[in-house]
Formats: sequence, structure tokens, C-alpha cells
Amino acid sequence: MIDVSNLRVVREGKPICAVDQLSVPPGGRLAVLGANGSGKTTLLRVLAGLARDYSGTCRVTAEHRERTYVHQQPLLFRGSVLANVRYGQRPGGRDALEWLRLVGLEHLATRSTRNLSGGEIRRVALARALAVQPRLLLLDEPLAELDNEASETICRVLNDLPRTTIIIASPAPLPGALGEVAFSLS
Amino acid sequence: MELIWDGLCDATRMIFSGEPLVFSAAWRSLWISSLAVALATLLGLPLGTWLARAQFPGNRLVVLAFRVGMALPTVFVGMVCYALFSRRGPLGALELLYTPWAIVIGELALALPIIVGISHGAVKSLDPRIAETAWTLGARPLQRWWTYVSEARVSVMLAILTAFARCVTELGIALIVGGNIKYRTRTLATATALETSRGEFARGIALGTLLLVISLAVTALIGWLSREDRQ
Repeated sequence: MIDVSNLRVVREGKPICAVDQLSVPPGGRLAVLGANGSGKTTLLRVLAGLARDYSGTCRVTAEHRERTYVHQQPLLFRGSVLANVRYGQRPGGRDALEWLRLVGLEHLATRSTRNLSGGEIRRVALARALAVQPRLLLLDEPLAELDNEASETICRVLNDLPRTTIIIASPAPLPGALGEVAFSLS
Repeated sequence: MELIWDGLCDATRMIFSGEPLVFSAAWRSLWISSLAVALATLLGLPLGTWLARAQFPGNRLVVLAFRVGMALPTVFVGMVCYALFSRRGPLGALELLYTPWAIVIGELALALPIIVGISHGAVKSLDPRIAETAWTLGARPLQRWWTYVSEARVSVMLAILTAFARCVTELGIALIVGGNIKYRTRTLATATALETSRGEFARGIALGTLLLVISLAVTALIGWLSREDRQ
């Protein structure tokens, strides 16, 4: 699914991200660990196709419509929570409400996105990304600002997606199977 | 002071008695400006959004041209339209001069740079995560465009309101290419100017008041439509 070799991102003469070798098979899970400024977000953005200013090789066998990236500070569009989950929803998949139920927020379906807490925004953004049914899901620090219960819910949801390749950037090791394979950036 | 008071009393009487000359001019002002702004929005909103997102050589120059166009003097636009639509002009065969359609086209030229300029600025200043999120969620170009417009909707409404206010109150275009013909091309602005020049201040104030009422009503409507808490 992913093959990266000798990837370098340099901006204004400063090295931002360096990966010598990285491979992830289809359906694999990878935790990209590293301190702040180690290049986790940059690596995810390169894999998502959002950053193209790199040298080296980066092969991702998924079209751009099959990769979904959730920002470190996710942004929800104006409108209701349900409208956001329906935004990129593919036909024939689960109903948007079901995706919301998975992240434990079906009761917020009709609420405006302007009236959500940080943790709720994060979970709605995840439901919206899942509704796209991507082959590659890239999550930038998805457990930040979440309480234990919400973190467990998200980990359970992600573990139940066997066909999706998931790459998670995190400053600390992830709980359970999500942290099964870890890759450290320095 | 007495003059203004008499004018306001006369204005109230004329408005509530439904004087045909006043309401004909008001209706014409309203539909001509609304049509011009609607056409400018149809053309300008996609263009402004596209200019904000596209990268091509000369983009800044095009944007600068539209920004300069935002301050076009109405008499200048009127003169250019007159040159185009006059019998010897390149579009003379269309016989548009001294018709409401000539005013619509002139006001379209006035409104278009405003819609393009403001919508360009609004979309350009949107949070970059909006475009990235839409893209990574696999949105098609039309869906992405609608997302930008929706996220910048307060500024977009402001652009429409500004364009409408400029069109409904303009005098130069309506006078030069419309000719201020009674029951045909007379608008509230040209009628106000005519009555004042005749020394009929009361009627001038009545017409001006009606113009003000229309502007306030449209401002209130657009303000309500674009309010932040509205879903």
C-alpha cells in the first residue's frame, strides 16, 4: 500500500522530515511516533497528497479519493453535524447516523458544528472521514484532547476496520492494537 | 428645515396614496438593479472563487483589474455603454439605447468587479484546512466550490449587498443610457435628480426616501440571510 524510501522535506534550508525506508501493507496499521517538530504531520501530509515539496520516493497505491486525512486540529464545515458526516459519504455504505453512532455522537446529529467541544469536533471529523470509506486513513493525533472513554471508543472503531490501512501520528505510544507497528521519527 | 419637513410629509402622502409615477420608478429601479446584481453574482462568484484558488501567470494582474473596477465612476461606465449602444457604436444594431436593458448591462458592468473583488478576498482568506479537508474527503470541483462559497457566505452576502446598493442608487448609467424616459427608463435616482432640478424638492425627498427604504429593506434581508447563527 505504501512504499517510502529516502524521503526528505526541506523548507527554507531546514530539514523538516526524513524517512529512509518505510513500507505498510494493505490493511496495516502504523503509529508514527516522535516528538513535536519531528516531521510526523509532514509525513502524513505527503502520504495524503497534500504536500508535494519532497525529494525521494513515495508510492501510495490508492487514488486521492481513496485517501482521507484528518488534521491535528480538525475543521468541520458550517452546518449540522449530520451534514458534515454526509459530506464525502460514498453511496452504498453505512448511513451517516450509523457512523455517528460508532463514535458515540448520534445524539448530536442535528446540532450546529459551531456548538461542539474540541473532543466532539475530533470525533465528528473521524466519523466524517470513515463515511468516505477510504482505503488509506491518515489521522494526525486523533486522541489528543479526548477523555479516556472517548479514546477507547475511537480505538475500538479503528480496530474494527480490517480493510483500511491506518496511519496515526502520535507523540506517545498508542493503546492496544493501534500501536502494533510503530515507526519513530527523530 | 421646513423644506425637509414638507418634503417628508409629501413623501408619506405619495407613498401611501400609491402615486403611479413614484411606484413605477421604484419598481423599475428594483428589477433593473436586482437583475444586474443577479447576473453579476452568477458570473462573478465562480470567477472570484476561481481566481482565489487558481494559480496561473497574470492572476494578480486580473485581480488588480477587478479591484480597480470596484471604484469605476458610474458616468464613465454610462459613457462607455453609450458609445457601445449608440447607433454608430459596435452594438448599435441591437437598439438597446434608451431601454431598461441598456441600464441592466451598464449596472452589470458596475456590479461585476464588486462581486469578483470581494468574493476573491473572502475565499482567499479562508482557513486553508477548508480546501484541504474538502479535497481529502474526495469532493468534486462543484462541491468544493460550493463549500468555499458557503464558508465565506457572510462576505459573499456583503458583496451582493454592496453591489446592489451601488446599482440601485447610481445615476450616471441610468441617465446616460436610459435617458430618464417617463414610465420607460426612469428610475428612482433619475427621478429624484429630475424633480430636484425642477425645484420640486418635496417630490425629490419623497423619491429619495423611497430609495432609502428599499436600501434598508434589502440590507435587512441580506443581513438576516447571512447571519452567523443561521444553518
